[in-house]
Amino acid sequence: MVAVAHDADPSAAWGKLFKLSWWPVRIRWGVAPGLLAAVYAAQAAGVVFPAWAFVLVAAFILIGNLGIYWHFSRPEPGWPRSHQECRQLVGWQAAIDGIALWAVTYLTGGVTGPLVVGFLLPVFFVSMLLPARAALAFCTAVLTVLGITALAEVYGWLPHQSLFFRGVDIVPPPHPMRTLSSLGFLAGSAYLAAGFMGPAVGGFRQQVQDIERRGQTEAVTSRRLQSIFSALEAIGSVRDLKRVLETAVAEVALVMQVKGISVKLLSEDGKLLRYAAAFGLPESMVREKVVEVERSPLNKRVIQGELFVTGQVTATEMFQFGETLSAAHLQSVLFVPLNLEGRVIGILGAYCEKPDRFDAEEVNFFRLTARLVAIAVENARAYEAVTAMSGERTWFMMKVAHNLRAPLAGMLSILEVVRDGYLGPINDQQSEYLRRLDRRARTMLALVNELMVLSRNRQRPEGECAAATELAVLARRVQRTFQDKAAEKRIGFRVNLSADLPDVRGRLETVEQMLENLVSNAIKYTPAEGSVDVRFSRANGTVRIEVGDTGIGIPAAARPKLFTEFFRAENAKAMEDIGTGLGLAIVKEIADQLGGRIVVESEEGVGTIFVVHLPIAAAPAS
Amino acid sequence: MNTKGFILVVDDDPDIVATSRIILESNGFEVQTASNGKEALDLLSRRRPDLMLLDVMMASDTEGFDLAFKLKEDPEFKDLPIIMLTAFLDKVRTEGPGPFEFILGEQWPVEWLFEKPLDTKKLLAKIEAIFTAKKIVPG
Repeated sequence: MVAVAHDADPSAAWGKLFKLSWWPVRIRWGVAPGLLAAVYAAQAAGVVFPAWAFVLVAAFILIGNLGIYWHFSRPEPGWPRSHQECRQLVGWQAAIDGIALWAVTYLTGGVTGPLVVGFLLPVFFVSMLLPARAALAFCTAVLTVLGITALAEVYGWLPHQSLFFRGVDIVPPPHPMRTLSSLGFLAGSAYLAAGFMGPAVGGFRQQVQDIERRGQTEAVTSRRLQSIFSALEAIGSVRDLKRVLETAVAEVALVMQVKGISVKLLSEDGKLLRYAAAFGLPESMVREKVVEVERSPLNKRVIQGELFVTGQVTATEMFQFGETLSAAHLQSVLFVPLNLEGRVIGILGAYCEKPDRFDAEEVNFFRLTARLVAIAVENARAYEAVTAMSGERTWFMMKVAHNLRAPLAGMLSILEVVRDGYLGPINDQQSEYLRRLDRRARTMLALVNELMVLSRNRQRPEGECAAATELAVLARRVQRTFQDKAAEKRIGFRVNLSADLPDVRGRLETVEQMLENLVSNAIKYTPAEGSVDVRFSRANGTVRIEVGDTGIGIPAAARPKLFTEFFRAENAKAMEDIGTGLGLAIVKEIADQLGGRIVVESEEGVGTIFVVHLPIAAAPAS
Repeated sequence: MNTKGFILVVDDDPDIVATSRIILESNGFEVQTASNGKEALDLLSRRRPDLMLLDVMMASDTEGFDLAFKLKEDPEFKDLPIIMLTAFLDKVRTEGPGPFEFILGEQWPVEWLFEKPLDTKKLLAKIEAIFTAKKIVPG
């Protein structure tokens, strides 16, 4: 949210006005006891009047004030008040005071009585706190009621109440002239007060209203900014077209405060419009719905770049858009083209139940939004295309590898039959060349095998991270796989496992593949009488797997490219001509896939240590 | 002919069939070959072999499996030792019947699985071992 300065906050400004209007409520608590005291004093002084009626009036004031207090003091008067609330507060108070004053005035001799001037109090109060028109209306209402009361007394419909003091009627009996002059005095004062005070206070009120309006605009702007931010965030982080659009329509609906938003995307040939996402619209309208552009002239116009906006949409128009929305009682509809580099890729639509909802500013904002949505669509589509392409490449690699294996197997079988002399004796030179051929074919086979592993790991990463591998089993299998080979080369080979190690993340086969590649390299590049050690231990919430050897080492220059596919260091090639350069690429691929990491330390001629850190499995291996 | 045993080799790859025949015959076995499941069944009905080498993928990806399952159901052949061969161990691991852990267990129609290209020494050793265990009398 954009921060709004406190004094420009409309609710705070209305809060001040509300506080001002609240003062009379506090004063009024004193009115009822005051009235009772006055009644008592007057009676003690010997004034004769219907005291019980005054008690009733005091009760009425008390109850009325309680009602106002009860209604307006909730929620806690932290004063974030609206302008309607201020008016209601003043209005209710004016009504209670007016009724009470009427009763008191009537009971003390009517319009010609001494208390009629009391009406000036609520008139001042109302003039200050309500707009001029409301103040004038209040004055008129008071004068009308008083006028009717006077007439009623003159014609005898209402009995005239008198005040007797020591047996003398101190209020002159109703007489048209006296009544008129009294009313005239009151009217003059009241209208003057309303007319002068209104404009004086009006300035303040205007200021508050300006602040309110500005605050509302700021709130709308800030909501829009937030929505644009959310949309941008979605474009940047979400790759899936459906999710990008779902986020976009929900955000746009929220910020524009409309009932519904739809995105229709144009097919590649430009002939069909398909609903790609919708918010707030009936499912039946959106799902699987396809509109033929040729048959829908209004859609066609939007696709050609025009916008369509109406505040009183007709059923025919909606039908022409291919949308049957009559049940949703929508009145305002706005459609703008989704434009991308001068090309229209679809239509963004907004729907609202209120008539004449979209003004020029909103249409403009909606057009900008449409540009953003268009970019999001294109971005997600591009990403999907790239993903599909890389998936196809992996599939192709797998297929090639598989199909190379069968003929290779055939070749190697034939070679063996010839080399081993099954088909008759061969001379030494022939034997040497067949041996070379065999080595080449086996290199190729290794390459194919590793390509298959690599593509398999790329193709099926799902479920890998949920699986767990028991290290004792892994250690045993690695020991068994390599002990003969190591013994054959007279290399010391040990697997050390500290006690109570947790399971690591990943399927046994996958983790084993990774470890096999490391151990097989270590044995391959360690000369006779050397040693290869595998150590499992626990380190900082991970399992540390170390494969150390006393082999030829990795030259510093080769280290940066070590995990690159098909890379082999020069000293490795010199020592062993068979090698694919895929082994360590696979190790890296698996470590990454499992959320682990791998580091290497090496000194040429001394040895190499590979350390893999693998995360501990979430659940133990079953 | 006095041989160490009678072996049926079933594979659709003619090179594998030919080389297996040469190697097995040179090592004293009598060999017959078939290039698909149907031919194999035909030969089996005429003369029962002592052991069968069976490729997994022939015309279909599972032709070898299908034949092996069929023989396992058949009382006459359920004890016939079968060594399965495949060039696609990886595919068999992931797509074969049951997970790889059971590869040599009861859920599989065979007890032994060899990857192609074959390690001839190991294969011959395995065949000898099977024959010794089953006390197949050369004949």
